[in-house]
Amino acid sequence: MKESPIGTSSSGMLEGQKLQGMVVRRVEKELYEVFIGPQHPGSGHMRIIVRLDGDVIVEADPDIGYVHRTMEKLSEVREWLKPIPLLERMTIIDACNITVPYVNALEKLMDKSPPPRASYLRVLLCEINRVASHLYGFGIFGVFLGHSTMYMWAFGDREVFVELAEVLTGARLTHSYPIPGGVRRDMPQDFPEMARRAVRYMRGRLEEYRRIFVDNPVIVKRLEGVGVISRNKAAELGIVGPNVRASGIRYDVRLAEPYEVYDELDFEIPVFEEGDALARTWVRVEEIKQSLSIIEQAVDWLERHKGEPIIPKEDYDKLPKLHKEVYEKTGRVKLLPVHATMKIPAGKAIARGEMGRGEIIYYVESDGGTTPYRVRVVTPSARNAIVFKYIVPGHRLMDLPAIYGSIDYFPPEADR
Amino acid sequence: METILYLIAYPPLWQVLILGFVGALLVAMVAIWFERKAAARVQRRIGPYWASPRLGGFMIIVADMIRYVTQQVIIPTTVDKIAFLLTPVAVLVVTILPLAFIPLSPHELYWPVASMEYSLLIALALTTLPPLLTVVLGWASSNKFSVIGSLRESYVITAYELVAVLAILAPAASTLSFNIVYIVEAQQPVKWLAILNPLAFLAAFLAVLMSTSAFPFEIPESEHEVVAGPYTEYSGILYALNMGGGYIRRFIYAIIIALVFLGGWAPYTPGLNPFTGFIIPSLIVLVKASIVVLIMSFLRAVYGRYRLDQALDAAWRLALPLALLGLGWSIILAYMNLI
Amino acid sequence: MKPEELLELLKHALGGLAKEVTVRKGYVEVLVDADSVVPVANKLKELGFDHVKSVTATDYPKESKIRVTYHVSSYLREDLAKPILGLSVDLPRDNPVMESLTGVWRSSELQEREVYEFFGVTFRGHPDLRPLLLIPELAERRVLRKDFVVKEESIYEGVPHRYQ
Repeated sequence: MKESPIGTSSSGMLEGQKLQGMVVRRVEKELYEVFIGPQHPGSGHMRIIVRLDGDVIVEADPDIGYVHRTMEKLSEVREWLKPIPLLERMTIIDACNITVPYVNALEKLMDKSPPPRASYLRVLLCEINRVASHLYGFGIFGVFLGHSTMYMWAFGDREVFVELAEVLTGARLTHSYPIPGGVRRDMPQDFPEMARRAVRYMRGRLEEYRRIFVDNPVIVKRLEGVGVISRNKAAELGIVGPNVRASGIRYDVRLAEPYEVYDELDFEIPVFEEGDALARTWVRVEEIKQSLSIIEQAVDWLERHKGEPIIPKEDYDKLPKLHKEVYEKTGRVKLLPVHATMKIPAGKAIARGEMGRGEIIYYVESDGGTTPYRVRVVTPSARNAIVFKYIVPGHRLMDLPAIYGSIDYFPPEADR
Repeated sequence: METILYLIAYPPLWQVLILGFVGALLVAMVAIWFERKAAARVQRRIGPYWASPRLGGFMIIVADMIRYVTQQVIIPTTVDKIAFLLTPVAVLVVTILPLAFIPLSPHELYWPVASMEYSLLIALALTTLPPLLTVVLGWASSNKFSVIGSLRESYVITAYELVAVLAILAPAASTLSFNIVYIVEAQQPVKWLAILNPLAFLAAFLAVLMSTSAFPFEIPESEHEVVAGPYTEYSGILYALNMGGGYIRRFIYAIIIALVFLGGWAPYTPGLNPFTGFIIPSLIVLVKASIVVLIMSFLRAVYGRYRLDQALDAAWRLALPLALLGLGWSIILAYMNLI
Repeated sequence: MKPEELLELLKHALGGLAKEVTVRKGYVEVLVDADSVVPVANKLKELGFDHVKSVTATDYPKESKIRVTYHVSSYLREDLAKPILGLSVDLPRDNPVMESLTGVWRSSELQEREVYEFFGVTFRGHPDLRPLLLIPELAERRVLRKDFVVKEESIYEGVPHRYQ
């Protein structure tokens, strides 16, 4: 069997020598180096360089960056509103949760705040996206463990929520819903009934998921005791999301620093103690239940408070007559062209939000111009990537998909 | 004229070519179709449909076979060419070989080779050959993932072939003979060994699931750590031979299980003319074997995949004691003259 | 804990090590010198800030400096979980070198690699300093600095003059 030219000392290459786009590194003779690379059914858009000693992984090196789309650099050359559709492409399945913190940062810099109805609409869409994102995570997790039924069921049920989002915003995945000051569209008349039906349906389906996947003896055996992250290790590595809540740390941005109207809503944060892959799965199942309850509360509030504005009063006064008519009749906000080149006062702001996969942080710096001076975004998967380096070694090769799926790592989000 | 007829209907020719290859092909196609359709229905989708709506989409498997025959076979330059090209063919040949020793009806006239005193032993011994060639497949492919897959296959063979052989030999211990015809005749009319000796039946079922890489044990070719294991570098007709070979091997094990555990052609007593002595018992055995294969295919929709060391753990701690207990129980059955 | 309380706590604990501690729009920022980064970081870790949320660098070409900011917060202490603290260091633009904080906070490891490849800031003592997201040829051009201009293609590039 021919040896690969990278990394072996027997092919005559010296360490550190550069080939076109490659670097030669030394590998131990007894270790078997496998590239679970981008062209692999079980790797996503990334490469994991795994060094094996028999069946046990000794080293795992995440080689990310295959879908880097230079969003931070692009945000510096686009005007203030244009990063909203740009940044939501990082995790398109969870679009509203990504853009809400960016819009919050802009609102902090501009000293604006959205009216209550706009906040409730944002929260509604955020929770719909959270359920869809968790179902996506379950689907991928199922197919990594070989359980194709979970994959098909999760993606089929996700359709229900994607269609709800389509009725609310007009687009299945690329909502671009929040704008600084409010939201872009109001809720249609028949939406509350649709939302309640979807919630009832999903509650029934969660019971089926429990029977076929979460309580399946093969799956339980695969996940129990795999990828254990203890409480101190979780705090030291700085991981986020349901992973840290499964390790015993009670941290959720909606609890620590409630943004939008999360302090008025009534929900719980599920916390488990064991820190293994099974606990992470359970946390996600419980979170879906909590999100369903938030959707019901939001829809109730929105039904009771009909006819309230969704953009602030000073923006409404500036709209010409035609725009006001469209707004009254159809509930759609048409932005004025002046929004394309608006200037935001100089300053720095930090805003964070809780996506399905964890906590996202925006650091926005403005120098008073029409484009941002610096936008720094740290996505949850970028912070979870460190799990590959520190938690995977010591497990067997077949535990790698189990750990990968259970931390719900999403490469386009990590690479930005 | 008679010699020509005799040559065409020469029993070994008939059995190996017609019953063997063609029958195996048909069985593989039906098993694949059923697996895709049943899994699709469980997963709330339709499965194969558009190719032939009224047949439930069966024609798509025929279309797949035509595609594999006409597809370009890509041979990478780093492989060991002779082994790469010959091993899938060898695997298929060795897989079908046990069929020569399995009689589907009790009369020697129709099964001159299979009605011998040691048919069960020889058939079982021949079924343990294909996994060795799978290891050769992995080596010939010169790909790290294939090597990892073949190593897993070799671990799996060591554990589960032993269990399979022990469990399937349990009926021989009860009936005091290795002759399949005698074993089936001893189970007439409803003294099936699956009912009298459930331990051995369960151990045999588990062992067959594992050694033919069916779910929940699809370990050597699990898609998500090793890309199709030893079969990674194959395309075209060789791919079809590999994949089909898996199904055919499962079917042959199923025939053996149907004969020794599920009573073979009992409760029917075959007559002497070709119709009642050859066709009907064969069909009964084939139907029983198909039920076993279809149950194995259905498990794909329900279970995930075990980890390698957990599966080997299950072999040495669960399946092997079960098989030994089944063997012991079958000796007790023989002692008590129950069969 | 409110930002003002945190400000008092920090002024107490850090004393003279920090150059400047400010509160602005609910965001507490501590500005330090490049040499006193590690002692300040150790002090903060003793106070209870146990992980780094983000490592940012901002390029100010007019003042010829690069400001590296570490946003830290706490998981294990609930009262410190609410505010985000920004630890900033100003580095000269032509030779930005500083001590790596992976010895103090392991969670900054991958993000320091990002700052290394995008801005060219060298972190001394980092266990594995190589580009994370970009290929090495692109990382040498220090893409996120302000003098790297993204050349955008016009849709008429390559089209004959008649059709423009």
